Amino acid sequence: MLIFTILLDGIAYGMVLFIISVGLTVTMGLMRVVNLAHGAFAMLGGYLASVMIRHYGIPYVPAAFLAAIACGALGGVAELTIYRPLYRKGELAQVLLTFGLIFISIAAMTLIFGPRPIDESMPKWLEGLVDVGFRTYPTYRLFLIGVGAALALALWFIIERSLFGARLRAAVDDPGMARAVGINVNLLFTLTFVGGCALAGFGGAIGAGILPIDPFYALRYLVLFLVVVVIGGLGSFRGSLAAALAVGIIETAGKYLVPQLGSFLLWIIVFGLLLWRPNGLLPAKTAS
Amino acid sequence: MNQPITPASTPQLNLPASGLTALRPVDAWHLAPWIIALAFYFLVPPGFHTLGTNVLVMILFTLSLDLALGFAGIITLGHAAFFGVGAYAAGVMVSKLTPDPIMGLLLATALAGVLGALTGMLILHTQGVAMFMLTLAIASIFYEVANQWRSVTGGDDGLTVPRPAALLAYFGFEGFRFDFAGKTAYLYALSVLFVWFLIAWRIVKSPFGRSLDGIRQNPRRMRAIGTPVWWRLVAMYGISCAMAGSAGALQAHAIRLVGLKSLELELSGIVAVMLVLGGERRLYGAFLGAAFYVLVHDWAAAINPFYWMFVVGALLVAVVLFLDGGLMGLLDRIAALFGRKKSGEEQASGDAK
Amino acid sequence: MRRILAAVVGAAMLAGTTLASAEVVKVGIIAEFSGPFAVWGTQFRQAIEAFQKVNGKTIDGHEVQFVYRDVGGADPAKSRALAEELILRERVKFIGGFALTPNALAVAEIITEAKIPTVIFNAATSIITRKSPYYVRTSMTVQQYIDPLPTWAATEGKMKSAYVLVSDYAPGHDAEEIFINNFEKAGGKIVGKARIPLNVTDFAPYIERAGGSGAEAVYIFMPAGAPSISIIREFAKRGLKDKGIKLLAGGEVQEVFLPAIGDDVVGTISSMHYTETNTYPENIALRKTLMEMFGANAVPDIGSVGAWDGTKLIYDAIKAHGPRITGDQFVAFAKGRKWDSPRGPIMIDAQERDIVQQVYLRRVEKRDGKLVNIDFFKSGMVRDPWKIANPNAK
Repeated sequence: MLIFTILLDGIAYGMVLFIISVGLTVTMGLMRVVNLAHGAFAMLGGYLASVMIRHYGIPYVPAAFLAAIACGALGGVAELTIYRPLYRKGELAQVLLTFGLIFISIAAMTLIFGPRPIDESMPKWLEGLVDVGFRTYPTYRLFLIGVGAALALALWFIIERSLFGARLRAAVDDPGMARAVGINVNLLFTLTFVGGCALAGFGGAIGAGILPIDPFYALRYLVLFLVVVVIGGLGSFRGSLAAALAVGIIETAGKYLVPQLGSFLLWIIVFGLLLWRPNGLLPAKTAS
Repeated sequence: MNQPITPASTPQLNLPASGLTALRPVDAWHLAPWIIALAFYFLVPPGFHTLGTNVLVMILFTLSLDLALGFAGIITLGHAAFFGVGAYAAGVMVSKLTPDPIMGLLLATALAGVLGALTGMLILHTQGVAMFMLTLAIASIFYEVANQWRSVTGGDDGLTVPRPAALLAYFGFEGFRFDFAGKTAYLYALSVLFVWFLIAWRIVKSPFGRSLDGIRQNPRRMRAIGTPVWWRLVAMYGISCAMAGSAGALQAHAIRLVGLKSLELELSGIVAVMLVLGGERRLYGAFLGAAFYVLVHDWAAAINPFYWMFVVGALLVAVVLFLDGGLMGLLDRIAALFGRKKSGEEQASGDAK
Repeated sequence: MRRILAAVVGAAMLAGTTLASAEVVKVGIIAEFSGPFAVWGTQFRQAIEAFQKVNGKTIDGHEVQFVYRDVGGADPAKSRALAEELILRERVKFIGGFALTPNALAVAEIITEAKIPTVIFNAATSIITRKSPYYVRTSMTVQQYIDPLPTWAATEGKMKSAYVLVSDYAPGHDAEEIFINNFEKAGGKIVGKARIPLNVTDFAPYIERAGGSGAEAVYIFMPAGAPSISIIREFAKRGLKDKGIKLLAGGEVQEVFLPAIGDDVVGTISSMHYTETNTYPENIALRKTLMEMFGANAVPDIGSVGAWDGTKLIYDAIKAHGPRITGDQFVAFAKGRKWDSPRGPIMIDAQERDIVQQVYLRRVEKRDGKLVNIDFFKSGMVRDPWKIANPNAK
């Protein structure tokens, strides 16, 4: 029975990581931008949803969607103004600029919302426990698993089956060739960035029950999101799902079975995996 | 992803790497930073020497990153690991082995260098994002080791370092005791920085340094012409880590307290900020960047710490977007303006236009 | 011309003499104003400003000036450098602040050498005050404020077994030690324990194991903030609360954190040396002043009270000894001193320079739509148990 509990807990945790990180993996793969500030969009999503729920009485799920839309819009603006000049610069410049954005986000959120974590805003229907056969299990975590699975399916459809997805994959694999065959790569970049930020905002909003929202969110979970992206393979949608679930399940199993390993575990996994497969578990096919 | 991601702003192979060609020892302005540093020692009121020492330590640390990241193109977000190793090693040396600071400094430097070279051997096969994640992973593992190994490091309480013996006491000279106001520590840090600067200078001017310049810009071509790319990278990384270890050891001796902060991601980030702020691949960029950062921080953070986070964030965005080459680049441009007015006079800057 | 000059010089000298008679006493505050612990710095500063509003910024005409420095987190090296800067550059007479133990310990040697009295507003590890004769503490120690909780739980609380979850750092280990000792001494049984690394984000596994251990109570100790909020929510969401398992805590459920945890927190029992809803007149004055100055959401916490009392001690000492008070005079003044704090009556131990105070057991309740702690038990004056158990440890 323990193994099922580990799986459920690990998958629920992994799904939150997946929802937030998948946008980052696609933008990092497509635009080759090391966007450390991705978590800031997730944080913003969490803040916005909370404000909508508590001050405007908007229900939980619509609030999360509205927060996602707002984050997407802001992401679009940021892409056009701040990120675009970055594409031509080196990784170091990207790392630093986006690190700077994290600092600004911390200062701004502290100024607006104060230094403490924000008030919780989970609806009653997510509070309880559900009988899952072998035990009772928190509704909220099942909800996360369900939403994550639905999103993964939807994304799979968009990326693998739609025309937009075909263009996206082409551009990830070989931007030069994609441009040559007439794909509007700039527009594609903007749309993808908007989508990635919206997903982050959505993930931040619904994942707040596991990753509480405070001004340091973007910095505190930065490494976690990066780990998922890099282990999965840049630009690889399937990779990020696999990596998020792997990180979630392995970390959870570690806490259940070998708690004395503590925080070494994650880093040993990262280290081993990256030495073994520097391009990630399921790397996107890239023209060399 | 096999294609190394080369920044478009990087000069091509046939151009002189900015700065290098112009660093001529004869130019009088090379003395400027050292004269300023000495003047600082004599002129400032007590209480400012520790701030000065902090600037010198950060300059040394930034300089070490310039070797690895600037010259060799090794993207690392974990350089604090070696700063921390040096700091803890020096601290433990003073309390457990010998109070002689110079012995401690040498051993801490060697340890950081060896650890740097060993981990470098593992990670320098990789490139780009994988590499910087690996540096992050290594730094995190070091951090966890220090955090758990309380008997040696003091864990989160930090390691209190006894006052080291007088500098040169080993040779029977007791004149340089570490004083409360930190004046001796300042001179000590300045001397160590000077020695390391000469070494760094020698390295980047040497054929070895030049080959790394080539490796940074096109590793495949360098490999094709028979350069042992991996070994050269490991060697440079090891030297850079040793230097970072020296900086950590200096801090341990001067502040006499080592905390887990010296191993944190934050410090790795800050040192990268200082480097880019000053200008990469310029050696003196480290001086400008670190001094500017530490002094502005000292001043702005006293006013309002959150305001300071805005300042750093905005500064980073602005430097990356508008100030290619950092403060050194800005100096170049100013110097170039003068150059046009006083044509004929050779400029100290490396502006090759 | 000469007369004008003489007049100017005379005026300047006059100004000089007035300045000399009305001195400025500087107090340096080293605290966390940025970073994940920024709440502490903010609370300290607001409490100091509130105290100055009530009691004035001058004592007998001498201005008391607070100089704030941000240490940014657990950063002992920086704390030490800041102390040096405050002493040498700002010429402060006192140092105060310190939310975190490492930062407080870091200045021990410097304040001893410079004979600068240092008032700890929060940092709670027992050993601190033994590291320098110039430390005085107006906050609490970890073992002091936990002391009555396990005893009460095992006896009057009728909890026969407990599971102990603490963060894996020095204060967590202190908490674990006293809880287990006192709980077992009072006849309870510890059925399991775990130390949680500080950077853990998902607490489900720990709560799951605690829930499955058969314990009647779960005790937690963590740095208050995002992690402690997560773990308390998880406790309720996993159904432990519905199963009737009691949650025992401390600083994690101060009033300031309750809205962030939500209604899940109702029923949590905690021990603390200060309860926000108490009716001591000093507390009512503190709450009122904070709200007037910083808005309706300004709620005092243990940091506010530690800073309030620390400031009061410094003020009283300056009143008694004048603006040129020495470090030794201050420490002698503080030793054995008693006064009424917003938390109730307190005293500074004459030997240890550490605080002696009552500890309150409280339960989280929802009153008028607000989550608050309500006292249901008050201990006698508690000395730091660790110091009693380790009379000679340095």
